[in-house]
Amino acid sequence: MNPDVKKPIFSSYINNTALFDEVFNINGTAKNVYQKLFELYGNHSIQDYVQLNNKAKSSFFNQGITFQVYDKKETQEKIFPFDLFPRIIDEDEWEIIERGAIQRSKALNLFLWDIYHDKKIIKDGVVPLDLISSSANYLHQMIGVDPPGGIYNHISGTDVIKHSDGNYYVLEDNIRCPSGVSYVICNRTALKRALFGVFNHYKTHTVTNYAENLLDILESVKPKGVDVPNCVVITPGMYNSAFYEHSYLAKAMGVELVEGRDLFVENDFVYMKTIRGPIKVDVIYRRVDDQFLDPLEFRADSSLGVPGLFAAYIKGNVCLANAPGTGVADDKAIYTYMPQIIKYYLDETPILNNVHTYHCSRPDELKYVLEHIHELVIKPVDEAGGYGISIGNRLTKAEIKVVQEEIKQNPRKYIAQPIMSLSVHPTYIDDSESFEQRHVDLRTFTLLGNKKEFVLKGGLSRVALKKGNLIVNSSQGGGSKDTWVLKK
Amino acid sequence: MSFEYSVTYSAENKYENPVENASWQFLIVPEDNDTQELISVDIKNSMQARSEFSQNGYGFQTIRINTKERLQKINFSVSFKLKKLSFNPFDQIPLFDIVSNYELVQSLTFKVDFEPFLRQTKYTVLPEGTENLFLFDSSISIFENLQKLNNWVYNFIHFNAGVTHVNTVLDEIIKKPEGVCQDFTHLFCALSKANNIPARYVSGYLHQGNGYFGDSQMHAWAEAYIPQVGWIGFDPTNHLLVNDNHIKVAHGKDYNDCSPLKGVVYSQGANETVHSVEVQAEQ
Repeated sequence: MNPDVKKPIFSSYINNTALFDEVFNINGTAKNVYQKLFELYGNHSIQDYVQLNNKAKSSFFNQGITFQVYDKKETQEKIFPFDLFPRIIDEDEWEIIERGAIQRSKALNLFLWDIYHDKKIIKDGVVPLDLISSSANYLHQMIGVDPPGGIYNHISGTDVIKHSDGNYYVLEDNIRCPSGVSYVICNRTALKRALFGVFNHYKTHTVTNYAENLLDILESVKPKGVDVPNCVVITPGMYNSAFYEHSYLAKAMGVELVEGRDLFVENDFVYMKTIRGPIKVDVIYRRVDDQFLDPLEFRADSSLGVPGLFAAYIKGNVCLANAPGTGVADDKAIYTYMPQIIKYYLDETPILNNVHTYHCSRPDELKYVLEHIHELVIKPVDEAGGYGISIGNRLTKAEIKVVQEEIKQNPRKYIAQPIMSLSVHPTYIDDSESFEQRHVDLRTFTLLGNKKEFVLKGGLSRVALKKGNLIVNSSQGGGSKDTWVLKK
Repeated sequence: MSFEYSVTYSAENKYENPVENASWQFLIVPEDNDTQELISVDIKNSMQARSEFSQNGYGFQTIRINTKERLQKINFSVSFKLKKLSFNPFDQIPLFDIVSNYELVQSLTFKVDFEPFLRQTKYTVLPEGTENLFLFDSSISIFENLQKLNNWVYNFIHFNAGVTHVNTVLDEIIKKPEGVCQDFTHLFCALSKANNIPARYVSGYLHQGNGYFGDSQMHAWAEAYIPQVGWIGFDPTNHLLVNDNHIKVAHGKDYNDCSPLKGVVYSQGANETVHSVEVQAEQ
């Protein structure tokens, strides 16, 4: 690029009006909430922007904000690609998302309580028995167990998209160990460092209050008889893809970050080894999967867990967040029943839309799916991180055959949804050295405690960096943007 | 009438390389229930390691032993005394309406309530095409069918210690019907479930004074749920209804929920465990 010719930032932006652009109207003008930002960024040239973007990237690298991508051959450590042009959500739109996320979290919590107690929703025929009886994540050991404060899904990550009709739709509810919140905070920090001035022109909600609210929620579910609970974060270790986040959250909450080997159980109480002797642990924010929590109860070959931890949990001496067995409701097949689940427990209509879903386990729907693969997204019900997804209109005829065979082999494993047209956001692309439209989604973070709830006002806007790509997960080569929620 | 049993469970664990840090969990303590009462427990181990009582995920009492001392071998010996009520298993079976029970087990509520003991598990999944290996006759009671199943399993498998192991699944048993109590029990449970009758795996001890199979190890049998009656024990290895020679420790969906010893050992290399059991009646 010739450094003498300064090109305005959006000079070569192609606004494909067939897509729902969040920033630009069809006539090319910026939408209201973006107008000020458009002016401010418009004063800079693309070269200035590139320079700032590089600085922001190196700041991520220097802070060690990286994640790992798993591949069949190797594991790579990467920087999470970050874009300096933020996404803005106005207060009215945000209110819908926030209310919708809380509604879903509460409904899922009531659902979890029910399926581990009386199972009324199944007996009443609202959801099929098959959803628990064929789920690997339904833990029989949790039947009849009352988690402290009655909470199962303390931390939920609800993924929403804005469809071309301008409405938000939920793609999935992540309630095992949803990650990404540390990037939300890092993105804000990076943007403040790089473009401090723009924040003076907008009243944006802070996102740095997440950790204090998380600690508040964790303390609200302390075991009975504990006055000031000792909370810790347990991590599988530094080789886990989200280790940075585990360490960040522990640090920001001011609690210890531990691995399984740092804890032990005695007389059904959990203790942390310290140089000053054992210290009792009351609440554990666990970023270790169910099956690895306790080698004496679950997978015997787990070296990540703590022998005896589950016994301490069911005795009520320690709280685990999220509760063991919560993953059963993270199943994509359960997602499809969310409207019924919300209606059943809350007697409300869903605030956020569900994407219509076909269950391959139902013969009539299976037939439809097999005949319409080219216009559907096929997802395995039990995989996270965007693995195993097939997007019908990107497949060759031969590939469609392969997918059809896979579905026929194991119909319970797959669901299908219409291909949703995610909204697009102007995103800086290295290769073309200009802004281009890229699809975005939004992961929101909802916390549920004993008589407390919190939704982070912001979230992780994930960008699919490959042109036309609809899968935004970081493990699939996605990037992210700072997301501003405006104050009233 | 009641009488006393004393049971001794012993295990010897050997490790190829020294172990520095280990936890063992034993699921061997007889449960307190309507027909048996635990009087005392005496726990010994060769390392004088600390032991404590806890429970597993299904509420059964466990003994946990931890040590941080370096070891290559450890012996455990746990003795129990318990009181067992003598009873006639047939006393539990009242007369009841046959038809309504078959309707009841088909109801959604029943299937939901007994889901854990109706689902197929790794050890109780029937190989394709064998689901109809034993079909219930709906003109006789569930109890009578279960008795016939007990008899059928007893005759189907040839008792042979040493040909199967803790990981043997039904596919192998059906191809080559030889095995021990664990295999008899898994097949019984699988076929009971295939006929919509909840069944669970029970581990415990058998007083062998009368020449029953049991191989001086822990024993296994099944319990099946009969509406209006409750859980009834069947011992297909010995072609018996469970009686006052059976001392129950725990139940679960299959062996996996009931394995008597689980260990977490921070060491590399092979290990070997030898268990033995002695049951004595002291009337």
